[in-house]
Amino acid sequence: MKLYRIMAVSRRVFQDVVNDKRTLAMLFIAPIFAMTVFGLAFSGDVEDVNVIIVNQDQGFAPPMGNTTYLSKTIISHLDTKVVNIKYMDNPTTARQEVVDGKAYALILFPENFTENAVLKSRNSSYPDSAEIMIQGDDSITNIKNAILKTVSDAVSETMTDEGISPSLKIISDPVYGEDAEFIDFFVPGILAFVVFLLTTLLTLITFVGERSNGTLERVLASPVTEGEIVAGYALTFGLLGMIQVAFLLLVAIVFFNIMIVGNVLLAFLTVALLALVSLSLGILLSSMAKRPEQAIQFIPFVVLPTFLLSGIFWPIQAIPQWLRPLSYLVPPTYAVDACRAVMLKGWGLDRIWPDILILLIFAVLFLAMATWSLKRGKK
Amino acid sequence: MELETEYAIQTSSLSKEFSGFKAVDNLNLSVKKGEIYGLLGPNGAGKTTLIKMLCSVITPSAGKAHILGKSIPDGNISSQIGYMPQETGVYLGLTVEQNLKFYGRIFGIENDEIMKREDKLLKFVDLVNWKHEMAENLSGGMKHRLSLACTLLHQPQLLFLDEPTVGVDPELRVSFWDYFQDILKQDTTILITTHYMDEARHCDRIGFMQHGHLIAEDSPRVLMEKSGKDSLEDAFLEFSNRDKSPAEKSQGGVSQ
Repeated sequence: MKLYRIMAVSRRVFQDVVNDKRTLAMLFIAPIFAMTVFGLAFSGDVEDVNVIIVNQDQGFAPPMGNTTYLSKTIISHLDTKVVNIKYMDNPTTARQEVVDGKAYALILFPENFTENAVLKSRNSSYPDSAEIMIQGDDSITNIKNAILKTVSDAVSETMTDEGISPSLKIISDPVYGEDAEFIDFFVPGILAFVVFLLTTLLTLITFVGERSNGTLERVLASPVTEGEIVAGYALTFGLLGMIQVAFLLLVAIVFFNIMIVGNVLLAFLTVALLALVSLSLGILLSSMAKRPEQAIQFIPFVVLPTFLLSGIFWPIQAIPQWLRPLSYLVPPTYAVDACRAVMLKGWGLDRIWPDILILLIFAVLFLAMATWSLKRGKK
Repeated sequence: MELETEYAIQTSSLSKEFSGFKAVDNLNLSVKKGEIYGLLGPNGAGKTTLIKMLCSVITPSAGKAHILGKSIPDGNISSQIGYMPQETGVYLGLTVEQNLKFYGRIFGIENDEIMKREDKLLKFVDLVNWKHEMAENLSGGMKHRLSLACTLLHQPQLLFLDEPTVGVDPELRVSFWDYFQDILKQDTTILITTHYMDEARHCDRIGFMQHGHLIAEDSPRVLMEKSGKDSLEDAFLEFSNRDKSPAEKSQGGVSQ
């Protein structure tokens, strides 16, 4: 391997990208566009859900005391950012609103709600419990969960306020990710995703072009070896990957104010490694396509497993167990995991080294396979 | 193994098979140093496959080949050969100048030297005014001219030119051939494929190729004499007909 030849190839690839304004835009504007769109639209927090409350609670009047209405206290504790409340008297018409899609849920407090709650808290053998009935459109799980959570939060706050036992209290004292929002979870994922996607596709398309316009053959007829070609590409796309990440992080910090607890350079290293894996994959895939149009057909095979299995939008734990082994075959899984650990938990190399090691193995393996695929093309 | 030899190219029983199809079949070819040798034949005759094997772009299935006295594949030989592929073989996303610089750098030529050679070559291929133009904006003929310039930049001793004059206008074709004659004086050897029979006359020797092997080879004049024809085109058809098996002839099969 001669350095000057690797540098010549690397410089050529770089010029190719820089000369083509569209590719350049794809490299830098596309990821920022993707992150902005995802970041704005896919915040993961459900808001403004229409609910109807039918409150039939008659309250409870202790001897010598004022009537109390626990239902009213609960309602006052409902998070109005999450739910838009509309009050109705008739449960049947209220239910019809849900059926008609005008609201997502009917929250019904029955007549003896406060009475049952108070009496049950005084005497646990009291036969009736206080029940809140939620009749909802459970077809959208996120919305269902948001309604259930806001109601249960309101109930637990009310119980604490009123001193009603058993008042169970969960105290949150986060080890990591205090005040983390969905976007903080999501940005490390999207970083890995865009770098993987763009580098793979760009290398794939560029390399198929090299094969179809005769440049690869001409270069292979020169002293440049297959390994030097791959190394030249690796150098440029590794660098471009790092610039991409720097750009994305800047936008994430400036516009989305994302949380970065750990060392940003380590996140860089991880994603640059992923860029190496991606470009080797691109070269490998290119040997299966004769024309750039054929290369386009690979896009779903690159995008979908990454999108669905690598833990970008939801944790691996949310993927069915039988499918999880596949997640571990998708290289971005490790980059997402490592980036998230560095950015949200502040972990260092001493903790994320298994991810880095696996990415390194992927990189070496894929680079060797890419070189081999070029050599095999001679047969 | 290096042999002190008068031959630039020597192959013995060289073959290449693609999934059962013999693209080059037991081919024996010898090209002397300083010679310009033309390979003529229909599409699919195996000319390009042969050139690719001789440039070590593809590996032969069987047989041997020596290039400039060295048995291929040999890493040291590649700096002494120039290969102009049938496809333009230039980077469309680079400018004319960037293409030339790249093809200079991979041969380890210093920048100053590249610039000197570049000026000379651009004048020769008439692309001086297009130096800073992107290759994708050039016409087909211009791309071929750039491709030739890229092939010549490192001043190779042996040139493999696969259809170098396709899409080049007649006037420039004449100047290409003048240039080829010029570089032959510097002890360069050229193996060229072409479709233009009139061009083939410029070659010292011609090999007619069909079905992966040579059906005849000699100087253009001798080939016409041997075939009893007065044009190379007719001579080729005559040799092609003689090469057919009796069964093919009885079927009245016409070669491509």
